[in-house]
Amino acid sequence: MGKKYKEVFLKNTWYENPVFVLVLGICSTLAVTNNLKNTLIMTIGVMLVTGFSNLTVSLLKNLIPSKVRMMTQVLIISFYVIIVDIILRAYLPDVSKALGPYVGLIITNCIIMGRAEAFAQSNDPIISFWDGITSGLGYMIVLVAIAFFRELLGFGTIFGYRVMPENFVNWTIMIMPPSAFFMLAIFIWIVKGFKKEGAK
Amino acid sequence: MKEKKLYTIIFTFVVSFVFVLILSYINFLTYDKIVENQKFSKISAVLNSMGIEYKDEKDALEIFNSTVKEIELGGLKFYVSTVNGEKVYAYVFSGNGLWGTINGVICVNENVDRIIGIDIISHNETPGLGGRIEENWFKNQFKNEKIKGEIKLVNTQELGDKDKDNSSVDAITGATLTSKFFIQIVNNSLAEIRKALRGE
Amino acid sequence: MSPNINPLVLFFASIFTSNILLSNFLGMCSFISISKNLKSSNGLGMAVAMVMTVTTALNWIVEKYIIIPFQIEYLRYIIYIIVIAAVVQILEMLIDRISPNLYISLGIFLPLITVNCAILGVALFMQLRNYTLLQSVFFGLGSGLGWWLAIVLLGAIRMKVDKAPVPAPLKGVGITLITIGIMAMAFMGFAGMINVQ
Repeated sequence: MGKKYKEVFLKNTWYENPVFVLVLGICSTLAVTNNLKNTLIMTIGVMLVTGFSNLTVSLLKNLIPSKVRMMTQVLIISFYVIIVDIILRAYLPDVSKALGPYVGLIITNCIIMGRAEAFAQSNDPIISFWDGITSGLGYMIVLVAIAFFRELLGFGTIFGYRVMPENFVNWTIMIMPPSAFFMLAIFIWIVKGFKKEGAK
Repeated sequence: MKEKKLYTIIFTFVVSFVFVLILSYINFLTYDKIVENQKFSKISAVLNSMGIEYKDEKDALEIFNSTVKEIELGGLKFYVSTVNGEKVYAYVFSGNGLWGTINGVICVNENVDRIIGIDIISHNETPGLGGRIEENWFKNQFKNEKIKGEIKLVNTQELGDKDKDNSSVDAITGATLTSKFFIQIVNNSLAEIRKALRGE
Repeated sequence: MSPNINPLVLFFASIFTSNILLSNFLGMCSFISISKNLKSSNGLGMAVAMVMTVTTALNWIVEKYIIIPFQIEYLRYIIYIIVIAAVVQILEMLIDRISPNLYISLGIFLPLITVNCAILGVALFMQLRNYTLLQSVFFGLGSGLGWWLAIVLLGAIRMKVDKAPVPAPLKGVGITLITIGIMAMAFMGFAGMINVQ
């Protein structure tokens, strides 16, 4: 039993990481990756939503009529996203303001829908929950890494604290949208390179 | 087949009903908190623009109620307080950003020749680009800035224009348009304030 | 209060300077997977542009006459996505009846659109920025066309790039992302052309 959990964990965070292997779900979060704090909160939101919607889909899988399967899944996902949104608005108003519409866009994050279809639909609730959480974790690792470099080079700060020397010239391009594409490409390049080495 | 159709419809209804019920309950629970947050964000913006410090939400409310007065002058609504023996006037402005309305507070001294401070209540600019008007380095540029004619936009290589007498502030890299719009809003509000306070 | 922005300016800004895909990263999933083929890129782009315009206008009406009067702002996301799903369904049926030829080239993409972030994104931006109906329509249309333009351009570039020799780990997705990055930089250059106001 424990072996299966470990397997799912490794698969979702490394071997079949949703971001760098399948390039799924980067839509909603890539936009906020020039700020580490926002990225972290967004990805935690994605992680929780993926986990819980997987759990719910798995619990209801035998009850859902096939005709409205997609619709029900979207409904379940929106349900959790709205909860995340309400919680942010009530307890972290600043973050909620900074993220703006991107919280709502978690609904259309392909990873969540993908996991619900591919895993939760045919597995037990608990392992589905675990699958969702680890997929979210794999997603988080990549985006936080991107955000780390973008914020470090673009602003010279980490979590808003200045870490670069005073005379460091900020790389403006890192703040702008195109750098997110470049960073992700470099990330994929490195990871795939590593995997090739391992395979030899 | 007919039964299946009926089941599909009932299922969809029941699921939607349950989810909406839970959501409205959560919404109801956090409603007061969210309203309070909104109220607080305006109060804190007024206090920030005046440069009055506060510890927490409760503290802010107390300071606001005891030291800040609401008055109407020349058709405009002002929040008036005395800071360091100087009478300051805070004015809530709103205007067009690049993408939507920017709401904020600008505070000036009695002669309208110095800006005491600026704070943003809400905006819809892109997070990480135009959204950086919310960041402290940008807002602090306005602090104690001398008003000679209109406030101008400059491009410095550092983060923020440190000269307090040149009536200029540094534009946000990568968000020149938002900066331009913001300066325009500031200048418009300054003109209105001048008209109201000095009768020009 | 609605911002006082000329709808035409909004239209061009959402195609070029603030392309929903290249500056807000919305609709990336289908963007990367479909752009392998120029022809399907074109089909999907057209479908997105169409759905986006219709749903943005519809969601504006729903927002104004259902969500606000009934004070159900907290259900906004669900309602928007249901509207989008419904529009996609209806459009699919309509196209099937009216023009079977178009259905063959467009039909398969329509189901993909419900979960396209760009569509929901545009609706949410429209609501958050308090646009008027006219501004929303232009914003929706502009964003849709911008998306279409971006995916067709990428589709065309990828046809060449896929044959080019690139480092093995970078092949496929990696080089595509770099291409998109360069495209995004090029689009940023439009900022000088359209000086809003």
